[in-house]
Amino acid sequence: MIKKNNWKGWLYLAPIIILMSVFTFYPLISTFLIAFMKNYDYQVQTSEGFTFDNFGIVLHIIPIVSGNAEPAWVTDVIEYAIPNTLIITFVTVPLSIIIALAIAVGLNSIPKFQKIFQTIFFIPYVTNSIAVGMVFAVLFDYKGIINFLIGDMGSPWIDQGAPRWKAMIALCIYIIWSSLPFKILIFLSGLAGIDKQYYDAAKIDAAGRFKTLMHVTVPLLSPQILYVMITSFIGAFKEYDSVVGLIGKPGTDAGTNMYTVVYYIYDSIGRNQVDYASAAAVLLFIVILAFTGIQFWVSKKRVHY
Amino acid sequence: MEIRLKHLTKIFPGNPKKNIPDTHAVEDLNLTIPDGKLYALLGPSGCGKSTTLNMIAGLSEPSSGEIWFGDEDVTDLSPEKRGIGLVFQNYALYPHMTVYKNVAFPLTNLRVEEEVKDASGNTVLDGEGKPLIKKRKLTKIEIDKLVRETAKIVQIEEYLWRKPNQLSGGQQQRVAIARALVKHPRVLLLDEPLSNLDARLRLQTREEIRRIQKSTGITTIFVTHDQEEAMSISDEIVVMKLGVEQQSGLPQEVYNEPANRFVANFLGTPPINFFHGEIKDNKIYVGDAMVKEIVDKKLPDQKVTVGIRPEGIVPNPKGVLPFHVDQIITQGRDILIQGDHPEETRPCKFVVDAFTDVKVGDIRCDVKPHKCFAFSLEGNEERIA
Ligand SMILES: Nc1ncnc2c1ncn2[C@@H]1O[C@H](COP(=O)(O)OP(=O)(O)OP(=O)(O)O)[C@@H](O)[C@H]1O
Ligand SMILES: [Mg+2]
Repeated sequence: MIKKNNWKGWLYLAPIIILMSVFTFYPLISTFLIAFMKNYDYQVQTSEGFTFDNFGIVLHIIPIVSGNAEPAWVTDVIEYAIPNTLIITFVTVPLSIIIALAIAVGLNSIPKFQKIFQTIFFIPYVTNSIAVGMVFAVLFDYKGIINFLIGDMGSPWIDQGAPRWKAMIALCIYIIWSSLPFKILIFLSGLAGIDKQYYDAAKIDAAGRFKTLMHVTVPLLSPQILYVMITSFIGAFKEYDSVVGLIGKPGTDAGTNMYTVVYYIYDSIGRNQVDYASAAAVLLFIVILAFTGIQFWVSKKRVHY
Repeated sequence: MEIRLKHLTKIFPGNPKKNIPDTHAVEDLNLTIPDGKLYALLGPSGCGKSTTLNMIAGLSEPSSGEIWFGDEDVTDLSPEKRGIGLVFQNYALYPHMTVYKNVAFPLTNLRVEEEVKDASGNTVLDGEGKPLIKKRKLTKIEIDKLVRETAKIVQIEEYLWRKPNQLSGGQQQRVAIARALVKHPRVLLLDEPLSNLDARLRLQTREEIRRIQKSTGITTIFVTHDQEEAMSISDEIVVMKLGVEQQSGLPQEVYNEPANRFVANFLGTPPINFFHGEIKDNKIYVGDAMVKEIVDKKLPDQKVTVGIRPEGIVPNPKGVLPFHVDQIITQGRDILIQGDHPEETRPCKFVVDAFTDVKVGDIRCDVKPHKCFAFSLEGNEERIA
């Protein structure tokens, strides 16, 4: 019986399997293969055999063979893409989670205007990120409102000639801002699921507000926190569109000082260096995989379902 | 410590726009709960028991009235300052903490006052010559000692390292009691703590609550809708209906002398039997049968509701009250008889000795006068005889 009807099941699954094969599995496998191909030529799809060199070149451990004078892009990854991505990840993710949690808990405790504020905080989410980026670009313009407020008119944040650290601050603020709504939404729905009796119990047990937050709310919200943490770490490692949205180009100088890993990958493809792009993508994949694995492992002890 | 409720009222406001009326959850409640006793708040679902308890705990603010703990007015005191332990209707144990941490949690928030001593152990005095008092947290060792002591009282020592979801209902309930008891509260409040348990465990746990209450001597208020539960373990009970006190006193007293039809109906299993009857010449009649003679007072002739407890009806071939027996249910120790009488308000039930000889069909019965009451048909249907 079961065997006879098996083809039906496959038939139902066929559309998604075909789509995933074309758009997910095939590119994924190709990327892995290309990452290990020597001098892969994208146009004619030929290579000169197997190699580990692509990784070395991306990480600027191995010099590229051709020519004596190295092109500028060889140090992009090690000098800009990796540090920038790490800064973005480890600054924006923890900060945005803490801020989102604080806002969600705050919203949850003022039932009166909750709906209005919820809407306000959700507006950035339904707004195009490039549009939000343009708003931030105006705010951080060298004659923008931020400089007006801090009384430093004319010194650039994100415009040509701005120091890398200042552009980084503006970028992180922008990323945190635009990542808040989704997190707040998740936390609010999690908070709504917590039985009010635990808070009554905490009151009877004479726990203060902060202690209740740390010992009751956060543990009971831990599944949502883990979900948000894992998805935002993955998202932050892949940050790219925020740089485009805010700065519009890979750097505040003539170069690429605002590169992220994905920005580098994108530009490599433009330079017809699909093999280096693939190698960088594989490295990023491994880092994200390892990092997510660590989070799951740590969460085994800390998350209470 | 004695607890007094004075004119305690709780009104949940409705919404006039949507035509939702106010809910008078508790109405002008006056109670004195004696020191060191187990006191039961008894009443059907929705009569305001939990609301009363929450007001005593400080979780809900009274609309009017006062709450006194001994000679301290605690009406406006926040819950953590009242020194109460509360066991919630569904325990509300913190699911992410072990039993040990659950019980220890209230202690980690506790501050004890202590006289400050100098290096040689002498009491340090403050500016006015009084001993200098400092507040401090409990140490880990002190907490551990208290947790283990309390765990021993409620017998949960073996489960200290489990999470609440790894415990049975009865064990969870004991943990909840431990969490409430560990800080040595002035008052212990229990909200239907047995409602989640099966019949056998319920019996066992209620004995345990009784034992714990006796051994600690803490004034305890126990909320239940199960009259048997309330009768069997409490020192005193109060019966409530729709937020209004009906009667309070010793359980047996309330059972033997119910103030009105509601109380008589609510107490006792199987429930009391009601008949349409009347008082004539100071005698109570059901149909033609004279079931009781009123001796202590003179009452005018009137229609009444007659209530007879199930144990107050005794089969006797020469008895006054005729019955038609429908069903005989053997319950081991005794027999439950279900029968009909033309004047009944619902099928009658009565309990007789297992060796009584009864058969389905028409029988006659005697009525024990002290198990027979007459209730007025007017107002709150007070008992008049
Ligand atoms: N927050 C509230 N808002 C409006 N009405 C409420 C609220 N809480 C309780 N009530 C009403 O007050 C009345 C008393 O409720 P309460 O919870 O005290 O009943 P209870 O005696 O504990 O019942 P149960 O035995 O079912 O637990 C009920 O009619 C209930 O609907
Ligand atoms: Mg209740």
